[in-house]
Amino acid sequence: MGPAPAGTQLRGAAGESEVMEPSMEGTGKEGKKESSKKRTVAGSPVEGLLQPVKLSRAELYKEPTSEELNHLRETENLFHSSLLRLQVEELLKEVRLSEKKKERIDAFLRKVNQRIMRVPSTPETELTNQAWLPAGVQVPLHQVPYTVKGCFRFLPPAQVTVVGSYLLGTCIRPDINVDVALTMPREILQDKDGLNQRYFRKRALYLAHLAYHLAQDPLFGSVRFSYTNGCHLKPSLLLRPHGRDERLVTVRLHPCPPPDFFRPCRLLPSKNNVRSAWYRGQSPPGDGSPEPPTPHYNTWILQDTALESHVQLLSTMLGSALGLKDGVALLKVWLRQRELDKGLGGFSGFLVSMLVAFLVSTRKIHTTMSGYQVLRSVLQFLATTDLTSNGISLCLSSDPSLPALADFHRSFPVVFLDISGCLNLCADVTASTYHQVQHEARLSMVLLDSKADDGFQLLLMTPKPMIRAFDHVLHLCPLSRLQAACHRLKLWPELQDHGGDYVSAALGPLTTLLEQGLGSRLHLLAHSRPPVSEWVISQDPPKHRDSGTLTLGLLLRPEGLTSVLELGPEADQPEAADFRQLWGSRSELRRFQDGAIREAVVWEAVSMSQKRLIPHQVVTHLLALHADIPDTCVHYMGGHLDALIQGLKENSSTGEEALAAAVRSYDDLSRLMWGLEGLPLTVSAVQGAHPVLRYTEVFPPTPVRPAYSFHEHLRERASLLPRPDKPCPAYVEPMTVVCHLEGSGQWPQDAEAIRRVRAAFQLRLAELLTQQHGLQCRATATHTDVLKDGFVFRIHVAYQREPQVLKERRSPEGMISLRDTPASLRLERDTRQLPLLTSALHGLQQQHPAFSGVARLAKRWVRAQLLGEEFTDESLDLVAAALFLHPEPFTPPSSPQVGFLRFLFLVSTFDWKNNPLIVNLNSELTVEEQVEICRGFLATRTQLPVMVIVTPQDRKSSIWTQDGPSPQILQQLMVLAAEALPVLEKQLMDPRGPGDIRIVFRPPLDMYDVLIHLSPRHIPRHRQAVDSPAASFCRGLLSEPGPSSLMPVLGYDPPQLYLAQLREAFGDLALFFYDQHGGEVIGVLWKPTSFQPQPFKASSTKGRMMVSQGGELVMVPNVEAILEDFAILGEGLVQAVEARSERWTV
Amino acid sequence: MVARRRKRVARESREEIPSPPGYSAIPIKFSEKQQACHYLYVREHRVREGTNSSWPQKRTLFVLNVPPYCTESFLHRQECLSRLLSPCGSVQSVDLQEKPDLAESPKEPKSKFFHPKPVPGFQVAHVVFQKPSGVSAALALKGPLLVSTESHPVKRGIHKWISDYTDSVLDPEALRVEVDTFMEAYDKRIAEEEAKAKEEDGVPDDEGWVKVTRRGRRPVLPRTEAASLRVLEREKRKRARKELLNFYAWQHRETKMEHLAQLRKKFQEDKQRIELMRAQRKFRPY
Repeated sequence: MGPAPAGTQLRGAAGESEVMEPSMEGTGKEGKKESSKKRTVAGSPVEGLLQPVKLSRAELYKEPTSEELNHLRETENLFHSSLLRLQVEELLKEVRLSEKKKERIDAFLRKVNQRIMRVPSTPETELTNQAWLPAGVQVPLHQVPYTVKGCFRFLPPAQVTVVGSYLLGTCIRPDINVDVALTMPREILQDKDGLNQRYFRKRALYLAHLAYHLAQDPLFGSVRFSYTNGCHLKPSLLLRPHGRDERLVTVRLHPCPPPDFFRPCRLLPSKNNVRSAWYRGQSPPGDGSPEPPTPHYNTWILQDTALESHVQLLSTMLGSALGLKDGVALLKVWLRQRELDKGLGGFSGFLVSMLVAFLVSTRKIHTTMSGYQVLRSVLQFLATTDLTSNGISLCLSSDPSLPALADFHRSFPVVFLDISGCLNLCADVTASTYHQVQHEARLSMVLLDSKADDGFQLLLMTPKPMIRAFDHVLHLCPLSRLQAACHRLKLWPELQDHGGDYVSAALGPLTTLLEQGLGSRLHLLAHSRPPVSEWVISQDPPKHRDSGTLTLGLLLRPEGLTSVLELGPEADQPEAADFRQLWGSRSELRRFQDGAIREAVVWEAVSMSQKRLIPHQVVTHLLALHADIPDTCVHYMGGHLDALIQGLKENSSTGEEALAAAVRSYDDLSRLMWGLEGLPLTVSAVQGAHPVLRYTEVFPPTPVRPAYSFHEHLRERASLLPRPDKPCPAYVEPMTVVCHLEGSGQWPQDAEAIRRVRAAFQLRLAELLTQQHGLQCRATATHTDVLKDGFVFRIHVAYQREPQVLKERRSPEGMISLRDTPASLRLERDTRQLPLLTSALHGLQQQHPAFSGVARLAKRWVRAQLLGEEFTDESLDLVAAALFLHPEPFTPPSSPQVGFLRFLFLVSTFDWKNNPLIVNLNSELTVEEQVEICRGFLATRTQLPVMVIVTPQDRKSSIWTQDGPSPQILQQLMVLAAEALPVLEKQLMDPRGPGDIRIVFRPPLDMYDVLIHLSPRHIPRHRQAVDSPAASFCRGLLSEPGPSSLMPVLGYDPPQLYLAQLREAFGDLALFFYDQHGGEVIGVLWKPTSFQPQPFKASSTKGRMMVSQGGELVMVPNVEAILEDFAILGEGLVQAVEARSERWTV
Repeated sequence: MVARRRKRVARESREEIPSPPGYSAIPIKFSEKQQACHYLYVREHRVREGTNSSWPQKRTLFVLNVPPYCTESFLHRQECLSRLLSPCGSVQSVDLQEKPDLAESPKEPKSKFFHPKPVPGFQVAHVVFQKPSGVSAALALKGPLLVSTESHPVKRGIHKWISDYTDSVLDPEALRVEVDTFMEAYDKRIAEEEAKAKEEDGVPDDEGWVKVTRRGRRPVLPRTEAASLRVLEREKRKRARKELLNFYAWQHRETKMEHLAQLRKKFQEDKQRIELMRAQRKFRPY
């Protein structure tokens, strides 16, 4: 990805306009320009910024009309809030089919009808004799085995009826489909056509002949085959109009048998209609075992017979009730955002319509309900009812000849019978899919109940693609391995039932197996459904293995992830055999501390990141053991991003352990400080204030053991110094700790004096820690550096009242008032808010173990894009925390990968201009308070920073984003995130493996005007670079602990020192961008305004020169001298200054 | 483009270097190796009649655009410019500032412990010569001046940062001494003030007013804004407690009307929000 346009955008936007563009570009919404009407935004404020509403008093308090009262009452009764009502109305407008288009579609349908009736008949032939079919069309069905009895001839359909959602008015844009049922004349069919796929063969031939003739017609833009809902035995013919209407509509032709042709009792789930002898080409086993039932096969035939009755039922139920239709449309959007409605066994819009009909018949939904209420009721029903154990039925008759629900439960995982009582509408829905639907419904109900303001947006407008919804994703590829798996799992009856579709035959057993194996680690397992493919009529239908890959999504339970042990039953229990059977050779007998001897499986995992990937081990082991699927066919996407936050030499850990070690050392230190004797005032609190102490430092510190020979010594101060003749020593960042002392009247009340007293405390602290605990310390006026266990802590002594002293102002009348000053705000931030935030995020990490990984990946990415210095560490941590505290519509991430994807999504889509990002740490903010905050935000928007993050401790000012980013930088980040997200998702969804995962981490450099290349010799963190160098310089560290301890070189990072100088000297003229984690390049961007000639002003001569332009003396930047200054200031560090002068002109 | 500009610069250096009216330009380079120059813009330091200025008239040179490397180190930061300008006449002092400002920077050196030195950028300078002739000589200077020469190398880059780091490791003993002296002086001052306050306590001034302080026999409410706000708040609460709510018919009516007004306001807000979302095409679900 080379976002060259992004660069120009930044440049263009960096001018005088301080306005952010709405971030709709680049978020995947292009390609719909044909309908991008320019709407006149009447009354809406300029610049797309919300402003507080001002209504005159007369308007507010005028007498209400009865109409208005009615509207208000309706809103109150039928909807959650008026905003929701308006939103729902807008959404329905967007997805509804307009009347104009409907007319065009109707006209097209009439023509289709005529054309179909004109297709010529053919003479009767044997089914196996297909020579009569013209060249240029292939039978859209795999005819295996080929030989089958029966004759076929083509006759025009007896009846052509429109069925489905188009008729009901519940179809939604885009992808308008009109289903047309073609009733085949009785003459085509014969008795016993239900047997051995004869009916399906005839159906396919019928379509083939139709297709050939319709394809000749210029009326149609495309004539293609597809599988109805992904079912391999039931092709359908897709017709699209020619010309500009090609994308308007797709007419799907479904042949169906004449009414009452098949007797339902022959097609009950317990019956067999595919004989083994025919299907397997062998005589039935002689032991007299009965033929296996073929429930799915039977259902597919029944579905064809019931097309019309279903449409009749739906039209009587939904026909006149507008609210119900709205509800169905909303539900369809809901399903589609969750990718639940497509493919074989999807929870389709038809199913949802039937479900609404069911709820109407059981009086759970009333016809006067609004669309929102229908949505809510259906979700509530889904969330609370388990159709896998208690099926439901639309059938009212109590005919004893009908089979019982229990019979269906034996054959199908999910049961929902239609009005006839014979057909299971959910026959193809797997238990996993249904559980996924239930899970989503539950999440949505929680969201709807939470009174959150933006439930609509999260519920209906936020897409939930698999890769972003599930913690880990795995691809099975190639699919042909599943054929072997079917044989291994002994699934021949299922294959016979599914007509050889080994993917759907194996799906159920495989998911059950994995669910069983993953046990407590798993929250939910979902699988992708084979996509519904289309193909041109001259081609053979796609094979089963061509339907892409099978993708499984795992939603993990964080609490289950910490264990490496799979505890089985006690050895003498009967269940032990099952356990051994499940785990095979991995199961071992183990003796536990309580004396029990149990079967158990132990996985190899030491670090947190390895434990997170135990599901990978489980899945590969079980698939290899039970389904013969080797691990080369399992592509597990869960830990690919871990490499980016792994330390230098370790490959097994993502640093959680190293961070925990640092935190332990800090805990020790704080205990020592509590117990110090001899301080004039006792320590009242010790608080961490560094990213390490909240687990969000990208690269955790390692204990330092400096080699003395590598450094200069300053003996009298016990310190090491860098040497000019050696490479830069390792970078050691001291971890800041704030130490509060108890209150006392003895403190002076003068700011300067307080600083001196604090300095005295710093000195005393160093002295005491050295004396009493033998720690190496170094005190300065503002802090004390302590070396402990190889970690360096920087202790700041704080006095609680100091910010207040800094705030005090005395008015001429002698009144003392408190006014914020920059110094007091800074002090308050560093000694009060920062420790609070650090401890809150530390707590969050204990709750959500994946937080550390997500926050660090996010920061790593932002910094890799060279934008790290524009955002404070804390602001990025808070954005990451928001993913855990406000995960809706998802669940809190349990893996860094999914968290990072959602970070990119949040950054690329969040509307910072009109919304504060509320991070409700410890759930301290109530809903009312949040509403209040949002209102306050709108009222004071112009005074607030571009990016506003609200926490319970910081409700108004958004302190962590006060000093940046600028609107342009934020916009740039949004653009980069919007580009990175699809690239990364595509990589992770690629079944052949993600390829180079670091692509999205490499910054685009073509947007910069000058590149300053640095010498790796003096970049202390060189090895942390995104593309870690194969070799780097020795940084003067020993692998063994050294003898005594001198204070190592602290915080010495030449690139940072260089940047500080550059910014100070040339900050008016240019922006400097750098990746602090081992970046080798500084990107320089001239400010667009700096090149405009200016009249002379004594205060702004910095780096400029006088030239005469057109007889006038003006100041312009002295670019050549500045470029040389870049090299002079960074002598030794700068390798080359690359001026891309083609990008700018003076 | 750079080449073209270079030619132009070369041509210009032969002729008069353009400079702002009243100023003359002196090219300055870091060392021989550099191609391009920065320009110091200098003029005699003048102030309007009646304005206070701590720099002597006639003898002071006002210099703009002093490059960031024109300082050697913290302790000898003035040295570089005075060395460069010494050929014009002996230099008495050099004052470097961030921005042109008439007020002289405080003479007493700031504590190195409590005021870490700032990172230098482009600065302005006031150079005071011993004699007025130095100023005129400097105005006629042709240059280019060289900051770093064989005899006086100037540290920069890695060497400078290492020496800065070394300087930043300070002696704690010196810090202790400084703190102690400061606090002694502070304590003395406070003690004096207190003694004075005690002396004045209860003693009426010329007009007979007695100053009441918080150190008196009966401590009074501190005179702060917060305290007065607190008092007002308490009063308000007291009054609110006494008030009857929804007692009179008109109160009922008004509450209802208020509710309706709230709903209307909310409705307007929502409509505005929807308009905005529609403008951003937020209603296209996929």
